[in-house]
Amino acid sequence: MLIKLLNTLLMIVVALSITGVINRTRAILAGRKGIRFFQHIYNARLMLSKGAVYSPTTTVLFRIAPCVYLGAAIVAFLFIPIADLEPILSFHGDIILVAYLLALSRIAIVLAALDTGSSFEGMGAAREALYGALVEPALMMALATLALFCGYSSFADIFATAQETDTNLTIVMLLLAYVFLIIMIIESGRVPVDDPRTHLELTMIHEVMCLDYSGIDLAMINIAGWLKNAIWAVIAANAVSVVVCFHWEFATPLAILGTGITIGCIESLRARNKLSRNITYILTIVAMSALVLLTGFLLYQNIDI
Amino acid sequence: MYLYTLLAALLAIVLIFVAPLRAKVWVATSLISAAAVGAIYLVVRTLLLGDVLLATFSTDMFGAERLSVDPVSALFLAIISITSVATVLYSKGYVEGYLKRFSPTHISLHYTALVLLVVSMMLVVVSSGGFSFLFSWELMTIASFILILFEADRHEVRRAALNYLVMMHIGFMFLVAGFVMLHGVTGSANFEAIECYFKVAKPLPLFIIFFIGFGMKAGLFPMHIWLPEAHPAAPSHVSAIMSGVMIKTGIYGVLRLLQAIDHNTELLYAIGLIVLLAGIVTGLWGVILAAMQNDIKRLMAYSSIENIGVILIGLGVAAVGHAAGSNLIGMCGMCGALLHVVNHSLFKSMLFFSAGNIYSRMHTTSMSQMGGLAKHMPVTAILMLFATVAICALPPLNGFVSELLIYIGMFNGVSDGHEVLYAIGGIIALSLIGGIVVLAFSKLYGVVFLGSPRSTHVAESTEVDNQRIAAMAIPAMLILVIGLLPQLAIRPIALVAEAVTGGDSAFAVAAFTPTLTALSYVGIILILVIALLYVAKRRAQLKRKIESGPTWGCGFTAPNIRMQYTGESFSEGLENIGRPLLKNMVDGRSVDKGEIFPKQHNYEVQHKDKVDSLLGMWWVRLMHRINMYVMRLRTGRVNNYVTFALLFLAVVLIFTLVGIL
Repeated sequence: MLIKLLNTLLMIVVALSITGVINRTRAILAGRKGIRFFQHIYNARLMLSKGAVYSPTTTVLFRIAPCVYLGAAIVAFLFIPIADLEPILSFHGDIILVAYLLALSRIAIVLAALDTGSSFEGMGAAREALYGALVEPALMMALATLALFCGYSSFADIFATAQETDTNLTIVMLLLAYVFLIIMIIESGRVPVDDPRTHLELTMIHEVMCLDYSGIDLAMINIAGWLKNAIWAVIAANAVSVVVCFHWEFATPLAILGTGITIGCIESLRARNKLSRNITYILTIVAMSALVLLTGFLLYQNIDI
Repeated sequence: MYLYTLLAALLAIVLIFVAPLRAKVWVATSLISAAAVGAIYLVVRTLLLGDVLLATFSTDMFGAERLSVDPVSALFLAIISITSVATVLYSKGYVEGYLKRFSPTHISLHYTALVLLVVSMMLVVVSSGGFSFLFSWELMTIASFILILFEADRHEVRRAALNYLVMMHIGFMFLVAGFVMLHGVTGSANFEAIECYFKVAKPLPLFIIFFIGFGMKAGLFPMHIWLPEAHPAAPSHVSAIMSGVMIKTGIYGVLRLLQAIDHNTELLYAIGLIVLLAGIVTGLWGVILAAMQNDIKRLMAYSSIENIGVILIGLGVAAVGHAAGSNLIGMCGMCGALLHVVNHSLFKSMLFFSAGNIYSRMHTTSMSQMGGLAKHMPVTAILMLFATVAICALPPLNGFVSELLIYIGMFNGVSDGHEVLYAIGGIIALSLIGGIVVLAFSKLYGVVFLGSPRSTHVAESTEVDNQRIAAMAIPAMLILVIGLLPQLAIRPIALVAEAVTGGDSAFAVAAFTPTLTALSYVGIILILVIALLYVAKRRAQLKRKIESGPTWGCGFTAPNIRMQYTGESFSEGLENIGRPLLKNMVDGRSVDKGEIFPKQHNYEVQHKDKVDSLLGMWWVRLMHRINMYVMRLRTGRVNNYVTFALLFLAVVLIFTLVGIL
């Protein structure tokens, strides 16, 4: 029980700090002093204490959607273990449930965006729905690779049956960590797929869908974003720590710093894609994921023979 | 048996025809309810006590046949009963709008056909095969043909109905051929004889002939083209029963074929691969086309094709799993597929009922005329949202349970090293289907119910009558029960799965129960978390300032409704990828990129299925030419006709003398 609580606590720490690390990295690379490390949390607290403005076009669905968005993310969040710790919830097949919970949160926000009747939000919704659909096979194949090597289909079991380090496993796990990192970038709408700091609504994806949200609703959407980031970051870090050092003391800082610094560097060093290139970018990740799975399969066959 | 069926049918016809105009629906309701109650009694008895024999008789053509209920029939009897009761309840409100437009005979014919369709579907799933099966199959086709023809004064309805009739009879020919082959080799045309046939003769040709015959009804790629034509033409409650259960009789046939492969691993493996591949192609084709459609019912029709694909993927996983010797994978695939048959019948009928509600208010099914309907039809909007979440296979509703089981089967295949590549193919296809279905249905729901109205009709529409809502609540309740208590639903499903491909149902129940119980808890936790968040938010907002302001137009101050995102623009990104599958019918010209000050343009695009054009290719023209020549024989002169008859007799005589006949 204590282990489960520790796991959740650490997950929350990861969720809260990744955005801070990204901001600090960007500030240092740009030579700025930058905002406070926990500025995003203060912002969220501020939003939580505010009222709201709702458009008369919207229905009740618009007000429930942020709760579904956050609720599904919270439940998915509870399934993720950090390295050798145990998550609160776990059962055989939960890797599929987590993927579909994230899809539930996606449909909630897409419908909410369409509810406003704004053409800009429609654009964002259409893009989010398409990218989400295309990234799904990549995610499932990455999960299948995990299942191939570890023989289970729940997050807790997959990472708990860490095998002794060998070269094959190392290659596959490092590649998988890369795939999960890119999936995180696509799902959370960061450079190069989407730029959260852009000023033109026409080219936004995630941000444009929450244009009409304010106050508590916006805070909920932001918090859900942190939780989702934490899910991907921890899975990627777990994949690395399986082959390096399978311990939460190693995996937690790796999840925070590894993903935070990588994303911070990517955002500072490269521009975002042209929107029409995004589909190619996502399909490349799908192909990459298929390649990892195939490589993994071949290596796995070798091990057996 | 035929005599009794015909007599019963005649009695139903007489009862419906003599009843007063407004009472016709009640006669039909009581007839269908009686049949449903009987069927449910048989279902319960079969699942508790074992198979029930109803009647045995002998036919001139195929020898001894019987009517009996085994677990497989019981599953289908159950979904037929539930959906048909909901359908007939729903039909009252829907048909009411037509009572003035059509004659009482027309209405009577419609209800008679509805009763006949229900009865014939029940007969299909209890016949042991051969003549009685073909008889009820044909009765089913004709009854549904009459039902599609309800609005026969519209040209496209007649066209779609005729198209349907022709396609069904091509399929019927394949079935007849299959049964004749079966009878020729084994001396019996019952489904049990297939097992014997598979042992003594080459199994694959027979399997493929039957698979095409059943696939025609199920909407298997590339024989699915009747579905997107027939559903927009048929009244919504007819679409609901056709899409919800009638196309599943095709799946029923495939199940009977799988049942006949008894421990023949090699054959099971080959057939499993065929079914899996057919499922993947059908599912992906269906879902991509669904996402392109801008007509509510066409979108739903393509989604039915996609769901048939998902069911076939499950069956393929089951067959390959059993062939590989894994009981767990086999049971996962089979239980998932069977549960999906049940699930799809529930949420698809609900979706078509919603489409009917919209059609009866808006008098169109074109999505570009709608928008913001949720404000005017709130109950329909809520029920449709419910069905949308279910069909997108999202937790905590039932669609997720069945897809989860299929996924678990495939993931087990990967992790145990059984046929890893096929399992991976299935995983990729199913996840892509799952992703695009979210796109398709968020488009459907968003464009129809949310946003601002795109035409003035929206403001005039009102909520439909309570009886129609009640009819929709029946499937809604079952969706919730299966979604939140999947561990209970799995028991009967596992029994049926055991009856199809063998395996151990007790083992499957024991293997699935921990997962499904956990899933049920997670579903409840999810609902509680969401409710808690919402209540907390409302409480916090009570004392704060909640304002109302226009939707943020990004600095643009005069947005109008025509600038709203449309269904077409919503799926544009996918269209760029899926273009090879489409044949676009473009009317008018779109605005060119170089046009700086665009003038008025008329632009209309329809995304047609590329397979549709199969019906417009050279062989159709060839048939046309041949028919032209044949038509020359029709001279209208009696002496010519007498010559033809004489020639025919001479040919028969020669053939007999030579000994060919």
